[in-house]
Amino acid sequence: MKKLTSAPALFAAAGAFLVTGLLLAFLYAPVDASSMGFSQKIFYYHAPIAETALVAFGIAFVAAILYLRDPDPKWDRLSYVSVRLGLLFSVMVMITGMIWGKAAWDAWWAWEPRLTTFLIVCFLYTAYFVLRQVVEEESRRATYAAVFAIVAFIDVPITFFATRYMPEGLHPVVIRAGDSGMEGSMFLSFMISMAGMTLLLAALVRADVAAARLKDEIDDLKTRIGG
Amino acid sequence: MDASGRDLSDAPLEIEVDGLRKTFGRREVLRGLSFSLERGGFLVMFGPNGAGKTTTLRVLATLLTAGRGSVRVAGHDVREDPMPVRRAVGLISHSPMLYLDLTAYENLRFYADMYGLEDREERITELLERLELSHRRYDVVRTFSKGMRQRLAIARAILHRPRVLLLDEPHSGLDPRAVDILDGLLAEIREEHTFVMVTHHIEKGLELATRLMIVDGGKIVWEHGAGVARETFNAVYREHVQEGSVL
Amino acid sequence: MGSRQFMAILRKDLIRELRTREMLVSMFLFVMLALVIFHYAFGVDEDTDLTSFTGGMLWVTFIFSALLGLNRSFAQEKDEQCLDGLLLCPVDRVTIFFAKMTGNLVFLLIIQAVSVPVFTLFFIERSYLADIGLFILVLLLADLGICTIGTLLATISMNTRARDLLLPIVFLPLIVPVLIAATSATTGIFADGADLGDLAARLGFLAAFDAVFMVAAYGTYDFAIGE
Repeated sequence: MKKLTSAPALFAAAGAFLVTGLLLAFLYAPVDASSMGFSQKIFYYHAPIAETALVAFGIAFVAAILYLRDPDPKWDRLSYVSVRLGLLFSVMVMITGMIWGKAAWDAWWAWEPRLTTFLIVCFLYTAYFVLRQVVEEESRRATYAAVFAIVAFIDVPITFFATRYMPEGLHPVVIRAGDSGMEGSMFLSFMISMAGMTLLLAALVRADVAAARLKDEIDDLKTRIGG
Repeated sequence: MDASGRDLSDAPLEIEVDGLRKTFGRREVLRGLSFSLERGGFLVMFGPNGAGKTTTLRVLATLLTAGRGSVRVAGHDVREDPMPVRRAVGLISHSPMLYLDLTAYENLRFYADMYGLEDREERITELLERLELSHRRYDVVRTFSKGMRQRLAIARAILHRPRVLLLDEPHSGLDPRAVDILDGLLAEIREEHTFVMVTHHIEKGLELATRLMIVDGGKIVWEHGAGVARETFNAVYREHVQEGSVL
Repeated sequence: MGSRQFMAILRKDLIRELRTREMLVSMFLFVMLALVIFHYAFGVDEDTDLTSFTGGMLWVTFIFSALLGLNRSFAQEKDEQCLDGLLLCPVDRVTIFFAKMTGNLVFLLIIQAVSVPVFTLFFIERSYLADIGLFILVLLLADLGICTIGTLLATISMNTRARDLLLPIVFLPLIVPVLIAATSATTGIFADGADLGDLAARLGFLAAFDAVFMVAAYGTYDFAIGE
């Protein structure tokens, strides 16, 4: 079992799924009937990346709760790594979203709910790192970061809800292909990309957590030798 | 036996510390401290700065969580059951923990309410008198001299009649009159109270203690009962404390 | 016992602030100055109709003013080691939270009570007296959200190195939903009068926000304030 979920195995699996998804998206799934046309294909990456980012933040949320119940550094490491990956994926969401926007509607930016929410999410989790940076003492840092990771994750759906339903009816919510039902072939391509992206996240989390643990152990040794 | 000759051997244990460890980040400040103190005892901790004495007091006061090891004060575990410990403990430390923009009365009233004192008004009046601050009752603490602030801090610390008093260098910063008041107070409540004092004031420490301790590098390096002469102590200190610290 | 302690902390904070007026004066000056700046920033013309901006102007101002107050409320405890004195007491940490939050709420309300009339004088054309009750409700619910999140985060940031800089960074992303709801509700009231359907949705949203984060704060406050 350990072998199956080790980082290299996960990366391999992720790679397989993602490449398959890519092939399916371009060769198998039909070109979108609406005005977006070919550019719609970026959706097969844009949406999975978005959902994976949220999964990452969810992992951070759970790890944070676990840390508060039992202050084991491994939970803090998991939380920290997940937030970092989530932030990385969030930036990718923004970039792919903007590319899609430009290609489909000739606009680099639109204040539409998903893009706006991810923008705020980027700021939110960047604040997480600023917080970690200014707390000097380590156990406090982990505790405060955990509290923030919990509060931040709760705020994500609330923010999405607010951006979608609140503003003064100015910007109509852009219906993406994902909202209306998907045709069979599109659905398959989408699910495979989704699986691939999730496996990628799992692989990255594993690799990063291992690297973080190694770094902590090295730091420990350094202090022991030094003082 | 304590300094006045009372036999304390049957008294119940008021403080029990076993294998106390505390790390701040990567720095291990307390490395397995173990000691106990019976009710009515007076423990004095000496040691160079940074030895972990203040940290120990703060753990006893529940201001810091113990890293590892068990700590029991007044019959309760500080980690599982901190509330009763807080009710039983009073702390006098470097800073007076007083609100500068409130009057002496308002400060004491605040703490009296926080501790749920039944006889709030009488107790406040009594303590202000005892500490010779009655005439400044309605003055804002910002206008107090350092000595007066420390005196008010003493009132704050014993307001709720704690069984255990933790004193972190209580004589520092006090004018001679305040020192007398404090010493008088300590003598008055000596019976039925347990004390842990950190100090650099050797004479006072040796005089008041029923138990002596030198802490260095997060560990107890020397322990003894009462009745140690000054010269003996100096020698012991030099022997056990490596760093060139000031006595 | 809990309510006596709650009152003691609240009373202490109120007395202290009313006596020194440090926080109140700076918050008030800030709001006034901001209003003047808005006038010049958005429309020097007598004819310019700023009605659709009024909600935004008001809430941006209140949020930044609240930040000033939040920073101060814990700075005082920290400076005199009074926080230690407070933590020595046999008091539930959550009681401390509620008392501090209520104090912050009271100060914010005082500022708003004085600045809303001035704001109305400067920027509002039509009378909204008919809807004054609903407006106050929006104020209260939004303030509650601001103070709940604000007090929790201020507790964390007061223990860090860059105390005053950190609070805005962690606070602002989290408070965006409140800003969105309060702004659209307020602009609605100022511009066309309260539309009960829309308003109910926004009030409900604010109430839900408050409830959710009050629970989150309740669960995590021990960790935020202890050591």
